[in-house]
Amino acid sequence: MPTDPAKFKVAKEVSRKDILLCLARVPETKRLFAGSSDGCVYHFDLAEEKPEPTAMEGHTGYVTGVALAGKQVVSGAYDGQLIWWDAESRAKVRGFKAHDRWIRNVVASRDGKFIASTADDMVCRVWDAATGKPKHELRGHATLTPSHFSSMLYACAFSADGTLLATGDKIGHVVVWDVASGKPQATLEVPEVYTWDPKARIHSIGGIRSLAFSPDGTQLAVGGMGKVGNIDHLEGKPHVEVFDWRKQERVAKFSGDKAKGLITHLAFHPQGEWLVGAGGDSKGLVMFFDVVSGKILREEMTSNHFHKFAMDETGTRLFTAGHNKLTFWEAAA
Amino acid sequence: MNTHFCGSSEHDVSRRAFLRTLGAGTGLAASGIGAMHSFATPSLNDTLKASGKSVILLWLAGGASQLETWDPKPGRPTGGPFAAIPTSVPGVHISELMPQMAKRMKDICVIRGLNTKNGDHGGAAQLMMRGRADEPSLRYPDMGAVLARELGRTDSKVPDYVSFYAATEGRDFSRQGSSFLGARYAPMKLAESMVPPNLKRLESITELDHHARAELQQLINNQFIAGHGTGPVKSHANAYARVHGLMSSETLFDLSQESAKAREPYGPTLFGEQALMARRMVEAGVPFVRVSRAWWDSHGQNFETHQEMVPELDRVMSALHDDLKQRGLLERTLVLAVGEFGRTPAINASLGRDHFAAAWSAAMFGCGLKPGAVFGKTDKDGQTVIEDQVGAGELFATVLAAIGVNPKKEYHVGARPIPLVNPGIKPITQVLA
Repeated sequence: MPTDPAKFKVAKEVSRKDILLCLARVPETKRLFAGSSDGCVYHFDLAEEKPEPTAMEGHTGYVTGVALAGKQVVSGAYDGQLIWWDAESRAKVRGFKAHDRWIRNVVASRDGKFIASTADDMVCRVWDAATGKPKHELRGHATLTPSHFSSMLYACAFSADGTLLATGDKIGHVVVWDVASGKPQATLEVPEVYTWDPKARIHSIGGIRSLAFSPDGTQLAVGGMGKVGNIDHLEGKPHVEVFDWRKQERVAKFSGDKAKGLITHLAFHPQGEWLVGAGGDSKGLVMFFDVVSGKILREEMTSNHFHKFAMDETGTRLFTAGHNKLTFWEAAA
Repeated sequence: MNTHFCGSSEHDVSRRAFLRTLGAGTGLAASGIGAMHSFATPSLNDTLKASGKSVILLWLAGGASQLETWDPKPGRPTGGPFAAIPTSVPGVHISELMPQMAKRMKDICVIRGLNTKNGDHGGAAQLMMRGRADEPSLRYPDMGAVLARELGRTDSKVPDYVSFYAATEGRDFSRQGSSFLGARYAPMKLAESMVPPNLKRLESITELDHHARAELQQLINNQFIAGHGTGPVKSHANAYARVHGLMSSETLFDLSQESAKAREPYGPTLFGEQALMARRMVEAGVPFVRVSRAWWDSHGQNFETHQEMVPELDRVMSALHDDLKQRGLLERTLVLAVGEFGRTPAINASLGRDHFAAAWSAAMFGCGLKPGAVFGKTDKDGQTVIEDQVGAGELFATVLAAIGVNPKKEYHVGARPIPLVNPGIKPITQVLA
């Protein structure tokens, strides 16, 4: 029975003073690890009536990526460090400077073998999750934008089977990599998510902020924000394009018509029933997309901007991390 | 592309319009107050004018964040994601986005205690440019006009006040003007091109004709001046001489005159090119050049915006510093980097910062300043000034004093004395050399 996106409701909220920038969930539980603007990773158990987070201290910058690989949690931050933690004891296992510039995202392959980190040094590094040793250094993104400013490498995502890894940058360039060999398999261009304003304000906004493979790995969803008139604000329409990446053909394109802002995270339903994205401007948004029909199934605006989310194995629960809030969404039976 | 000196038709100044304005003897205060006679020979401080001093204003339009530049608060909830780095002045840290300026900090002077009380773009821009709010019946001249008058030489063949503002956003917010000082001190505004239009001699006029006409005009003027000797006639002649000077200074506006080695430190961006142009201008004797870098108004994605724009500021400002220093121009040139306000310590839900005038920063270096000075202090979250608070007037007065202009000097509009800064406003002596 497909999960009806209309049935998702907020079941619990945890207010915070900080900004929660990333999230990883322990399988089969409501336990979460969230990265914070205060430099900590927090462990929450939303099964508790009043969740009492515990802090894991080690970073010196915004924690922007957290991933669960087996029994280890790996976090990455703007300090360029990757830190491995024991998921149960929450003790630090190892940590080192992994990138010269801000780490933007950290993801784990579903089998827990590999960790990938992307950073503004425009390199994606693949790590052996068990040992922390480097496996690949993937370089496929220009360090400068066409206007001579530093670019950023915001997004990365593994395919469900862990054989593919996609990376996406500020100017809308995507590379799909073969994880085993570290070789690029395809590139895509999504220029609509990058706005360079050469006349009014002479800087830019946007970029690819989210990527997600379909469960069978044939499709790749790319998220961000459409072209923006006034780049002082996140006032563009949320923008998602879905590609048959091997054919380099776009199969669907979505542009929100209610909410504004960035799509900062994307994920396919575990059985591929729909695609869900979250993000926002000063407010939050959650959008559900039907890739086959090309229709937006639901576009929900909320009070707080979301940075990342986690979805459970059944596709009936969402956990969103955002500005001053952690939110648990559940699809009513 | 259509090129204008200015995006505002009110202030469009082509070569011919420039001459027409000067010649007409109008261009006066909008207030209706009897203006200073624009043809009156300025009461020269000959020594100062002969010193060739100049000011370059790096105008950070839209409001750059003090927390991502000169007054970082790392580790605080308001601090944002950037680290602070040590500088060449022991104990002084600035944002990690400015490593080049950090190395040069021993030559830099930072004001960290600005409280200018105006968070509206237009009003704040006027306040910072003029050092005070206008009166209902009196518009004050801006810093460029005052310095053009105080430093500009009547025999100069280059403009006294040049303003670059390439971006369209905010161009009208910081409308500049000479007000009662008259059009003689109005800025030459360069918006979409770095070269004034109509600078070249008409092809239909030969070089010989051009010179012959100038000589004839000068001969007639001199004869008239000898017979009548009035200020307005002398000024009229000066106006023609300045236009001829402009036309002969075509190479001044030609960046290709600079070697690749000289251009490289400024970088490939328009802001860098304009800063290099500013250096060429002060070297040629232009007293005031404003180089505007817009638009910093980062209500959303403040950190992305500053990650993009601050490194550019760091590169351009450090290149300008080094260039002026190597050419021996730093002793006679003051560089000020400031906008209309700073940005809120609070980080909004779009990861942005909003307008904030209560506790923000400016940076200066060069002529008349105490190198390495840091004046003013904000609290641990950057919300308030807790030591040595100053306003727009004090900053304005400090620039004047540093460059050798007495801030207490008065102009007269009719019978009314108009001091260069409001009564009671003093320069920040702690940052003066």
